[in-house]
Amino acid sequence: MYRLFALGNDKGGWRARSALVSLGALLLYSGISALAQSTAPPLNANTAFSIRAIHLLGWPNTKNNCKGILSTQDNLLQFQQGGKPVTQVDIASVRHVFLGEESMQVGGVPMKIGKAAAPYGAGRVVSLFAHKKYDTLTLEYVDSDGGVHGAIFQMPKGQGELVRTQLLARGASSRPGEGQAANQDSSGVTHEDE
Amino acid sequence: MKTNKRSLWILSVAASVIVLAFSSQLHGQTADMKPSDASGSPAKEWSVQVERIDAGHLDLAPSLQVAIYENLLQKLNKTKQFKQVLREGDNKASELPKLLILKTTVVKYTRGSETQRAVTTVSGATMLTVQSQLITRDGKIVLERTVHGNVRFFGSNLRATHNLARNIAKAINQSNLAVARASDRDTQLPTVNAEVTK
Repeated sequence: MYRLFALGNDKGGWRARSALVSLGALLLYSGISALAQSTAPPLNANTAFSIRAIHLLGWPNTKNNCKGILSTQDNLLQFQQGGKPVTQVDIASVRHVFLGEESMQVGGVPMKIGKAAAPYGAGRVVSLFAHKKYDTLTLEYVDSDGGVHGAIFQMPKGQGELVRTQLLARGASSRPGEGQAANQDSSGVTHEDE
Repeated sequence: MKTNKRSLWILSVAASVIVLAFSSQLHGQTADMKPSDASGSPAKEWSVQVERIDAGHLDLAPSLQVAIYENLLQKLNKTKQFKQVLREGDNKASELPKLLILKTTVVKYTRGSETQRAVTTVSGATMLTVQSQLITRDGKIVLERTVHGNVRFFGSNLRATHNLARNIAKAINQSNLAVARASDRDTQLPTVNAEVTK
């Protein structure tokens, strides 16, 4: 009887210990994540920023669908494709900034081939889960001759808003005809549908 | 020895005659090609200014509008049918005597989904239908076409804009005759109405 009690007691102690350990781990994790959130620099509209983005089309002297770094320096919006010279546009020449959201399949061509080769339509099931949401940033700017250009960038979700804020703070203007829509939206920028 | 020399001489003369004959034939061919090239592209005297896409009353995402506009400029430049391809608002347009304006209005848009396309194959297509008009400065319509651009199976939604721009450029390229007539008779311009389905 005593032995049984002792055994039961041991089991209870083990459970209590494991509960304590898991609680500690949880606290540690939440503490770290809170620390990470608090250590993220407050985004000042005037500080320079740089984020990874994919240039979809329209930026001067840059290939379509190429990865690079989108950044600002002084009053210039720059895009640099790895190792290639920086291409830039004066932020003041940016007339409209649109923010959108797009859900796209991930994995590129290898994934597509893999899905096509998968038997019993398993590729379709994979497609159900192999998609990711991105922000798309659409810019309209004018060149020195007054010609209207458009450029589209794709970036991780949540980053588009940051870039938009930075651009508006640095002198990019939003669409004049969309003043009412901007008021409704309270952002000055239209949001695209998926 | 003497016969050898003679045969060598005859051979060299024959070779030079053959070379001369071939060169004159090639020259004739190039001379023939030049005028046909010049006559084949009467629209080359004309420049085109591409206007931004008019979404009409449709809820078309700005990224799609910008993508159609940029792809259109790219494709028209590739066809080399026009002397210059200008953007909307370009100051150089006022200096050009022969200028056509390309207006594109979206008449139908079906929003698709890449994921839906990947999962079902048969549904989720993104479809765009636009009306393209080539207009002279004084507002006369030289060419009017209804063009479609779709993405049905693979690719992102932006691919529809790429296909659409390619089809518009192709339609304009095929209607070279209409532009030529416009250049001949500036006063009475023929209207070409057609539908391009792809």
